Amino acid sequence: MAGYFVDRRGFRSFVKGLVERYLLYGTTLQEGFPVFKKIETPEELVLSSTPTHLSPKEFLFPPEELLLRFSLEDGRGEPVVDAPEQVLMGLHPCDIHAIGLLDRVFSHGTGDVNYIERRRRTILIGTECLPDEYCFCHSMGTMDAEEGFDLFFHELKRGYLVRVGTERGRRLLERYSKPARADRTHLEEMRTHREKKLESFVRSIYARREELPLVYAGSYEHPVWERIGSRCYGCGSCNHVCPTCYCFDIRDDVTLDLKEAHRYRVWDGCTLEDFAKVAGGHNFRRHRSERLRHRFNRKFRYLADRFDGLFCVGCGRCSRTCLVGINITDVTNELIRDARS
Amino acid sequence: MRWIKRPRIAFFSLTSCEGCQLMVLNCEEELRELSTRVDVVNFREATDLKRDDYQVAFIEGSVTREEEAEKLKEIRQRAETIITLGACSTTGGINALKNRFSPEYVTECVYGRNPPNRLLVENIPAMPVEEVIEVDYRIPGCPVSKEEFLGFVKALVLGIPPGLPEYPVCNECKMEGNICVFEKGVACMGPVTRGGCRAVCVSFGSICWGCRGLLDDANTDAHRETLGNHGLGDDEITKRFDLYSSFYIHRKGRCTKTTT
Repeated sequence: MAGYFVDRRGFRSFVKGLVERYLLYGTTLQEGFPVFKKIETPEELVLSSTPTHLSPKEFLFPPEELLLRFSLEDGRGEPVVDAPEQVLMGLHPCDIHAIGLLDRVFSHGTGDVNYIERRRRTILIGTECLPDEYCFCHSMGTMDAEEGFDLFFHELKRGYLVRVGTERGRRLLERYSKPARADRTHLEEMRTHREKKLESFVRSIYARREELPLVYAGSYEHPVWERIGSRCYGCGSCNHVCPTCYCFDIRDDVTLDLKEAHRYRVWDGCTLEDFAKVAGGHNFRRHRSERLRHRFNRKFRYLADRFDGLFCVGCGRCSRTCLVGINITDVTNELIRDARS
Repeated sequence: MRWIKRPRIAFFSLTSCEGCQLMVLNCEEELRELSTRVDVVNFREATDLKRDDYQVAFIEGSVTREEEAEKLKEIRQRAETIITLGACSTTGGINALKNRFSPEYVTECVYGRNPPNRLLVENIPAMPVEEVIEVDYRIPGCPVSKEEFLGFVKALVLGIPPGLPEYPVCNECKMEGNICVFEKGVACMGPVTRGGCRAVCVSFGSICWGCRGLLDDANTDAHRETLGNHGLGDDEITKRFDLYSSFYIHRKGRCTKTTT
């Protein structure tokens, strides 16, 4: 593996360079919690954190995005593509895998112009992370990222080991820092970190990934859905914190003079009550249990069939955000256990 | 809802702080344009006009006096469309907290044992407007949000029936990028409260108090348990639910419906 070593001073100059040239969003702490935020100085960055509470998908697929302006007088419209040149720094391996999945979704068929344009102008920089008590990426094959990033930083005692994913990343690294070749001690230190990380997981999925679509296919009538459905709020939090949930609603708004209209896309979530509601007030998934079952099946089965890959990257954010303690590993393991018995 | 290109609208106030009417007046940027879309024919806080030929009536405040119930019936006869404005008129709001006590007791608490004029302080248990007359649309909130009010006005002049979100505050709270207040060890009513406010209170460092009322599909049992798990005792939990939703939670108890 071609790796570089950047010392702390080099790292600061690298981040300064990014801030001057790009809009930089990176991981930092807000009131003690890991979040992605706009970064102005290298000191603000906190790399090596547990997962951020919200995923970085918001920078590629914003919660509310203007897509179109059109005139109510003559019907003429003008599409809006707002795609700033930006850098996302501090992406964990699971987030990088998730972005890879979103890429597949939004480039499917004709492709989503807004997403694709944003994605094209976004530089992805990964960092090594620390699992929290909900993480289970080691079970989902997403603990390491070998591709899907421009650069990837591993924090070491005296600096950073940097892996290069793209030519764009290499040029960036060389322009803003003075990278040296990584030597064997650096690689050794990185591997030690990885081993420690692997030992620190408290949650796992007790089946091979390939088995999961079948486990879910056989669990449609399992009592777990009714049980967790009775606790669920239907609040959509699990959808919104999920790095791979991509459903959206389209809303129109008009200006008060009734001359111009704006078309937005807004995050939607399959656990929300009116997600599957149609004309006449009919609802295909009226009960929370049905909606939860749908969400879990999307992650482990439906989208696996459609896009060839599980849509859960094991970040554990949905479990963390759930106020009634619906835990994705517990649910999945219960289904696995009963599928085998 | 019949489409009226330029409706004549009126604002009425029952028992309330009148803060929701103030929110309407707070639409400073939009008032001029608003006045070209609708004719305001009755609005005590904004104009001397007191005409009765309105087609749409916005009603703020809860019903806490017999006279108010009578006034509402008159308004219902004149208006084609009735829209409640704010928590008090929509759910009874915080006024309904007094329903836990007898009218005599609350009167004495506020006015003393010998009020100068008994007729002026006579009151009945507080209730939302829909307990007295049929309501067509509801704008919840304490106070209402400007954006939501303007959205209703736009819907009116476009002839589109306005609606309310059926999702909890958490939905928009996540979109606003807030750290969940429960993570910080603080309890909140967001998970059972109707969204549509963009989680403004949490975004500005507070918590959700539930001013937009409980969702139709609110999982209140789960929320009682969540609040308990976050250190609230039974009394405190009841108080949180009661603050804005006590009328509907306790309606079988003390509130008596005035006939429509």
